[in-house]
Amino acid sequence: MTWISSAVLITLLPLLVRLIRGPTPWDRLLAYNSASNRVTVALAIASVLTRSVVLLDVAVVYAALSFLGVVVISRFMERGGGFR
Amino acid sequence: MTSLIISAFGTSLVVIGTVGILRFNDVYGRLQASGVSDNVGVVLVLIGLMIHGGWTSSDWTLLFLTLLLVVTNPIATHSIAKSAFVQRHSGEDES
Repeated sequence: MTWISSAVLITLLPLLVRLIRGPTPWDRLLAYNSASNRVTVALAIASVLTRSVVLLDVAVVYAALSFLGVVVISRFMERGGGFR
Repeated sequence: MTSLIISAFGTSLVVIGTVGILRFNDVYGRLQASGVSDNVGVVLVLIGLMIHGGWTSSDWTLLFLTLLLVVTNPIATHSIAKSAFVQRHSGEDES
């Protein structure tokens, strides 16, 4: 399970490249969404490895808040915010 | 052993999705590479974690997290795609 967690966390590095030099804002939003998914999975793996239930609750709250943020930012850009 | 196989399959899907996000040359291509393989890979890793070491009481929270990701991840991808489509076409009409 340790190498699965490290493989998931290593894939954050190409997402950081896409987050920095994405041509459009939607590329950056997509990279942020994928990175938050990977962080949620890494938190769940860490909670199973260290047998601490608190990290699992942190993962649930992190997933819900990242979903809320992505939907709010995409609705904001859909209505023309940040462009005019 | 079964949990390790399922988690390794999910991890390979996550890595393939990351390569797709890095290598595609369009917003919609990147959305497809992320939205299809990322969702299934994340859910497979969580299912492998659920059957890792038997069913304990903390696995109910893991099941809730899996169902939450299954529901919310396609909604987020669809919202990003709709935002890109609507905004890009309205920008073409204005200019």
